[in-house]
Amino acid sequence: MQKLRKLVWISLLLMVVLVFTGCGQQGETSKQDEETIKIGTVGPLSGDTATYGVSTKNGVEIAIEEINNSGGINGKKITLIPQDSKGDQAEAANATQKLISQDNVSAIIGAVLSSETLAAAPIANDAGIPMISSSATAPGVPDVGPFIFRNCIADQVQAAQLAEYAVKELNLDKFAVLYTKNDYGEALKDTFVETLKSLDKEPLVVESYVDGDNDFSAQITKIAAQKPQAIYVGGYYTEAAKIAQQAKQKGLEVIFLGGDGFYSPKLLELGGDAVEGVIFTAGFYDKDPDENVQKFVAAYKAKFNEDPDMFAAQAYDAAMILIEAIKKAGTTDPAAIQAELAKTKDFPGITGKTSFTENGDAVKDILILKVENGAFKRIR
Amino acid sequence: MFLQQLINGITLGSTYALIALGYTMVYGIIQLINFAHGEVYMVGAFTGLIFVNMFGANIALAILGAMICCMLLGVLIERIAYRPLQGSSRLSALISAIGVSIFLSTLVVLIRGPQTTSYPQMFKIVLYQVGPAKISNLQILIMIISAILMIALHLIVQKTKVGKAMRACAQDQDAARLMGISVEKIISLTFALGSALAAAGGVLVGIYFNAVFPTMGMMAGMKAFSAAVLGGIGSIPGAVLGGLFLGIAEVFGVAYLSSSYRDAIAFSILILVLLIKPTGLLGKPIQKKV
Repeated sequence: MQKLRKLVWISLLLMVVLVFTGCGQQGETSKQDEETIKIGTVGPLSGDTATYGVSTKNGVEIAIEEINNSGGINGKKITLIPQDSKGDQAEAANATQKLISQDNVSAIIGAVLSSETLAAAPIANDAGIPMISSSATAPGVPDVGPFIFRNCIADQVQAAQLAEYAVKELNLDKFAVLYTKNDYGEALKDTFVETLKSLDKEPLVVESYVDGDNDFSAQITKIAAQKPQAIYVGGYYTEAAKIAQQAKQKGLEVIFLGGDGFYSPKLLELGGDAVEGVIFTAGFYDKDPDENVQKFVAAYKAKFNEDPDMFAAQAYDAAMILIEAIKKAGTTDPAAIQAELAKTKDFPGITGKTSFTENGDAVKDILILKVENGAFKRIR
Repeated sequence: MFLQQLINGITLGSTYALIALGYTMVYGIIQLINFAHGEVYMVGAFTGLIFVNMFGANIALAILGAMICCMLLGVLIERIAYRPLQGSSRLSALISAIGVSIFLSTLVVLIRGPQTTSYPQMFKIVLYQVGPAKISNLQILIMIISAILMIALHLIVQKTKVGKAMRACAQDQDAARLMGISVEKIISLTFALGSALAAAGGVLVGIYFNAVFPTMGMMAGMKAFSAAVLGGIGSIPGAVLGGLFLGIAEVFGVAYLSSSYRDAIAFSILILVLLIKPTGLLGKPIQKKV
């Protein structure tokens, strides 16, 4: 009997404690909601693809810091809630769900990889929370719904423009294609090959690899046997640098072509001599004399002690576009933000003027960069 | 092209063999799959890089430095994570090994960040024409260094007194102890030797693929483990054979099937071996001690 009474008391006490702490927390968050605007990011902060996610988060951080230092949005400060997707589709979906239902964010910047974005975007769209991906270039991303936007160059556009440039301006004739087996690589490869065909050219050989692979000797040997003039690599800079290095080790002298996944100071660092002469499409160029670009580069270097890459720049612009929309909307109501985002036209960002098409895809200038003497140089 | 792909495969395979040796040696002595071994290989690649970057060391010094550092690391892992579990169930040691593996890779992410780093170019690549194929001085170097290390290991195990002690411990620890062999010391030595080989493999792979990153040990460790099982776990020549076979199978898989099957090939071989010949190519049938 004594025991039972004790148990009842303890459970009563527990209940009281729970009720009170519960109340306290709720009160606090609702107070915070009034004072700050919450923006989430979703992207890989750990794992093989962490470098893209970290750059994206850093870019958003710079944008938010800049706005907060100049007084915030209509007097309200912005808080950033970064979430780690680990580059995994299920994790990205979970992270998005958490940002929406637990953290009550007003909008999300993300996700980073195309594959994870295709998994996360439907959740944001169904919940009616605006989501801007600053790097998911695969087809279909903006088609998920009205709340999904993207601020990067679509794969189809960049691969088509580069194929045309290579044939018409560089007068190249014999191509090989080597692509990574994910949404990004497949889209680049498909468009590049299609555009070549429309110009009456045919790739000599099409090979693939898996992200994170280290050994490309088998593919390079196969490609070398066909003696191409150029290899279009549909993939990211880490693998591109390794491919260029290993091709050089095997005595294969070709011009490497690529997409915006090449644009990172890491390409030069990892590739060394081997990436000299590489030509690729990009949405950002850090040596651009433009004042805003230089301001961003300086702020980024000061805070993170490294040069910003394209992921950081496009994330910065995505955050700025979002902040502009929230300012104009004058409220954190997601539907109002979405309406303002959709009206974005000729936004003067650091990655060129950006407008959104009807379904939320970005229209931007495409740059073509070349590696010359160990540095990027704009050639178009 | 066949010959060229064969050369590619042997180069890749010799690095697998170096890592597989560590698995096989440790298993031979304490019947433990040392899942932290892949991470020792990764740490080896990074310490080699530090030697090159900080001291401007040449390739031999980098390999030697990495080998010594990883010897210490291997001994330390054994002391901290496995020795206290001696006598408890084999599963506890296995879980401890997985813990060490995760600890080491996240530690390196914390210290260096997750990004890929490259080795500086240490010498000029020269290509030699061998019939229809080309072989680079780097590939020759990798094969020669791997071969030297494997022969050295063979000599240590077969011709020296400690080698004899190691073989004795592998056969029967209690009997070895009765003969006056310090089993603990021999186990430490086994970890040291295995880790040193993994470190050499790490540096060679770092130079060959020009990329080192904190998660590189995971897949390489699994592949080397498959190689060790393929050759017959516990058997030293088996690990070498298994490593070479796996490297060649992988390269030919990519060359004649598809690159998507690269990892599938390694692990299908593992499953097939376990189904058809669980003792591996050169393994002895397992006798349960009563």
